[in-house]
Amino acid sequence: MLSKPYLLSSDDLTKEDIYKVFEKASFFQENYAPGVKFNDLKGVTVCLAFFENSTRTKLSFELAAKRLSADSFSFQSSSSSLSKGESLIDTLRTIEAMGVQIYVVRHNCSGSPNFLQQNTDGIVINAGDGKHEHPTQALLDSYTLYKKFGKLEGLKVAIVGDILHSRVARSNVNVLNTLGVEVAVCSPGTLVPRHIDNWKVKMIPNVDDAVEWSDAVMVLRLQRERMESGLLPTMREFSNYYGINKTHFEKKPDLVLLHPGPVNYGIELDYDVSNYPNVLIETQVTHGVFTRMALLSLLGSRFSK
Amino acid sequence: MKILFKNIRLLNPEQNLDKIANLLIIDGIISKISETDIQVDNETEVVNAENLIASPGLFDMHVHFREPGYEYKETIESGCKSAANGGFTGVVVMPNTNPTIDKPEVVEYIKQKAKDNLVELLQAAAITQNREGKQLSPMYELADHGVVYFTDDGTSVTDSNVMRRAFEYASAKDFMLAQHAEDHKLTENFSANESELTGKLGLKGYPNVAEEIIVARDIMLAEFLGNRRYHVSHISTRGAVRIVRAAKARGTRVTCEVTPHHFSLPDDLVASYNSDLKMNPPLRTNDDIDAMIDALKDGTIDCIATDHAPHSLHEKNVEFEKAPCGIVGLETSLAVSLTYLYHQNHLTLNQIIEKMAINPRKLLRIEVPSISEGNSANLTIFNPNEEWSVNKEKLMTKSKNTPYNKYQLKGKPYFTINNNKIHKCVL
Repeated sequence: MLSKPYLLSSDDLTKEDIYKVFEKASFFQENYAPGVKFNDLKGVTVCLAFFENSTRTKLSFELAAKRLSADSFSFQSSSSSLSKGESLIDTLRTIEAMGVQIYVVRHNCSGSPNFLQQNTDGIVINAGDGKHEHPTQALLDSYTLYKKFGKLEGLKVAIVGDILHSRVARSNVNVLNTLGVEVAVCSPGTLVPRHIDNWKVKMIPNVDDAVEWSDAVMVLRLQRERMESGLLPTMREFSNYYGINKTHFEKKPDLVLLHPGPVNYGIELDYDVSNYPNVLIETQVTHGVFTRMALLSLLGSRFSK
Repeated sequence: MKILFKNIRLLNPEQNLDKIANLLIIDGIISKISETDIQVDNETEVVNAENLIASPGLFDMHVHFREPGYEYKETIESGCKSAANGGFTGVVVMPNTNPTIDKPEVVEYIKQKAKDNLVELLQAAAITQNREGKQLSPMYELADHGVVYFTDDGTSVTDSNVMRRAFEYASAKDFMLAQHAEDHKLTENFSANESELTGKLGLKGYPNVAEEIIVARDIMLAEFLGNRRYHVSHISTRGAVRIVRAAKARGTRVTCEVTPHHFSLPDDLVASYNSDLKMNPPLRTNDDIDAMIDALKDGTIDCIATDHAPHSLHEKNVEFEKAPCGIVGLETSLAVSLTYLYHQNHLTLNQIIEKMAINPRKLLRIEVPSISEGNSANLTIFNPNEEWSVNKEKLMTKSKNTPYNKYQLKGKPYFTINNNKIHKCVL
């Protein structure tokens, strides 16, 4: 059990909660082998309600639910009646009437999981809402750092790129702060929230300094729309001033790098570095399944047996 | 109608009136005011009014009744019922209907719908045709049909040259122009105040400066064009209040109003993503609320207006970012003002009556009802101390989008009297 019966934002997670997830994730990581099924969610129905396109998060939750023996089904909004003008609340009631206990929700509007949780007796797990939060990404990122470094207190992590529009950044700043990690952000002026001073993060204007300061960097995906909407002058300038490349690793070979994917190679990250051993992008994906198994198991235990 | 209020407190700062008396109303006329007993026949309803106050009828210069065009949200009939139930005897409806109030035919249609009502319904017409911010509306004609002021409310007149022309055109008749002050480029896709919180909630913010830039520009234009009459609708930021205060000190003819929600509800409530907390301008910070209260006290803010903006449940019960802006306010306005201003010792009862009944009429050059024998009764009768809990299901507005549901408030309207009609408030 966790301190809250749902996961809408990283604020719902205490330090104890996070370590419970880590412990359970480690258990699954150690005991899982192809063909092995756990019975944690036997008899529980999980709906993966993806109102916004996603590949890795949806697959990751789907596998996690299946490995826990849940009955799971999923839909993307393009294939649902939302495109026919059905409201979100009606969609929820329809799914609920079919007997669902856990909803994994992704939506392009911030706060949609909160809205759904207020209207259901089931459990809502936020799988990414607008520009608000992506708490399971933060769990898998911090789990990855935990596995890599063994200890999180006092670790230094710099988040580089588009902070303003990033739900990954919001969740990570919060979770890392909760875990006692020192966090810095490095971003051009138009891509930081105006009140970043109150986020309990250090601002490092220069990417080389950010790399030098940190034990690990989290590189965020830069959406091309940011340039079209006038927030960035040119892609070239962004990648020259905020991109991570080979020279950073030459100066600091033990630099650990995380990226939530999918990567825009050549913009925020050089393709040359993608197979460096400390570039943990694929490890993050692997860990994603185990941390989501852990979360589903801990939250879903009230329904099983 | 024959009704006697025994031992009621009569309060009207405009007449320097504050006394306890018996008040007899017969057929809509104040027939007798007496500190000694009044003998009445047995057809007269007698109300023991020791705890009640009678003031000039409340007046709200900023409401949306949605008719014509959006009758599923509110109609003139339901809007007037809501006004009467909140203690209001007069309102000014906004022009963002469909069709827009920008031609005499629409004004006459609304007048027809509103006649023989307890509530006196007046109209504001658009500054520009269809509220498009381009071509001026026929203001002279509209005023001759009874329009009391002009505004493109819901949107700003963003083009400075159009605003200049509007001031110049209005100058011939000294009309009042009001502005929904919003630099729309700065607020694109907003859903809440731009603050630390919206940064965290991942919502596109509405920065204070979007309001202040337009207020400052308009005051500069109004001064430049010969001290024109200008009114800021629903002012909401510390900076905007500062600009208005400085302008008033220079002697400009600028006035402004504030909504009850902008002096009672801080923006951190939005963390619940409850769409009944979504409006335009958005809820601001506690610091802005303090500034609203200071400005009410020192007279920078002239009046309280609700911006009553009904939306139906199916429109509001959606993702926060997709919900329309606006909340209903007529039936909670008096109680919220008494609770947050009078009972918190910020304003006296006389000041509340000035902000809610007297000043808005003076701004619009409408006669302020006087509580005197022989005058027709235009009164709000309320208990300033009764505590009650808001139940949105009891509201008479057609829409129930109030953020105050279940709030404990102190002060409650009891009777609304005007046009030889009496409404007993049910809340």
